[in-house]
Amino acid sequence: LFFSYFKELVGKEVTVELKNDLAIRGTLHSVDQYLNIKLENTRVVDQDKYPHMLSVRNCFIRGSVVRYVLLPQDGVDIDILHDATRREARGG
Amino acid sequence: MASRASATSRLMSMTASWKLSCASARHRKVSRRRPLLAPVESAACALGRSKRSPSVVWSASTCEALGDGEKLIVLLRDGRKLLGTLCSFDQFANVVLQGACERVIVGEQYCDVPLGLYVIRGENVVLIGELDREKDELPAHMTCVSEAEIRKAEKAEREARDLKGTMRKRMEFLDFD
Repeated sequence: LFFSYFKELVGKEVTVELKNDLAIRGTLHSVDQYLNIKLENTRVVDQDKYPHMLSVRNCFIRGSVVRYVLLPQDGVDIDILHDATRREARGG
Repeated sequence: MASRASATSRLMSMTASWKLSCASARHRKVSRRRPLLAPVESAACALGRSKRSPSVVWSASTCEALGDGEKLIVLLRDGRKLLGTLCSFDQFANVVLQGACERVIVGEQYCDVPLGLYVIRGENVVLIGELDREKDELPAHMTCVSEAEIRKAEKAEREARDLKGTMRKRMEFLDFD
């Protein structure tokens, strides 16, 4: 379900927070079945804490290290998502 | 159990032969090395350490479409940062880096430790970032120091962090405000 949801979000600006507390903002370029994420135009939210990321523009984030993905406010239709997850929970 | 042991011995022999061929191939171009590396990665998958079937094809959308031979920075789960040129990768994010060097940053100091050819297991990979070739990614105020110094500084920082952690645990235990 979420794979198809993320596929629809391709092209939107998201912030990905990782399990190591690193938060990265970028445009969602692609996603795969493991929910690995490829971001373009990446910039770290708190740049000074992570100086090594300064010149990284595109990155690949492994799905298993994502804590959460902050979605754009206007990109989400909450009701549709609610219904879909409810249906999935009931059926799955 | 038996199959795992045989697979392990298969991997060991493959790794040994791969190491030999790699050592001799060191002077050859990168492109010729790629076919030698594929058996190692697929053998690692065959050990069944991951639940996914090794026949799963690396999704086209997540291919390193930048092309192999790109300068990358790989973040690992233990916080290490490895820079290097991408040799190859697979669907588990196992990565082979050529000319790898570890960038250790402690406060204002940094140091690059050259490592050579590295095979990184995918489960330890957090992030793979494409480095801009022209830009040097370090802010101007950082100073380069020797390896011994940076290791000392790193150790000191780790000890300070551990000490802070234990002290905080003690305070919480005492319900200290």
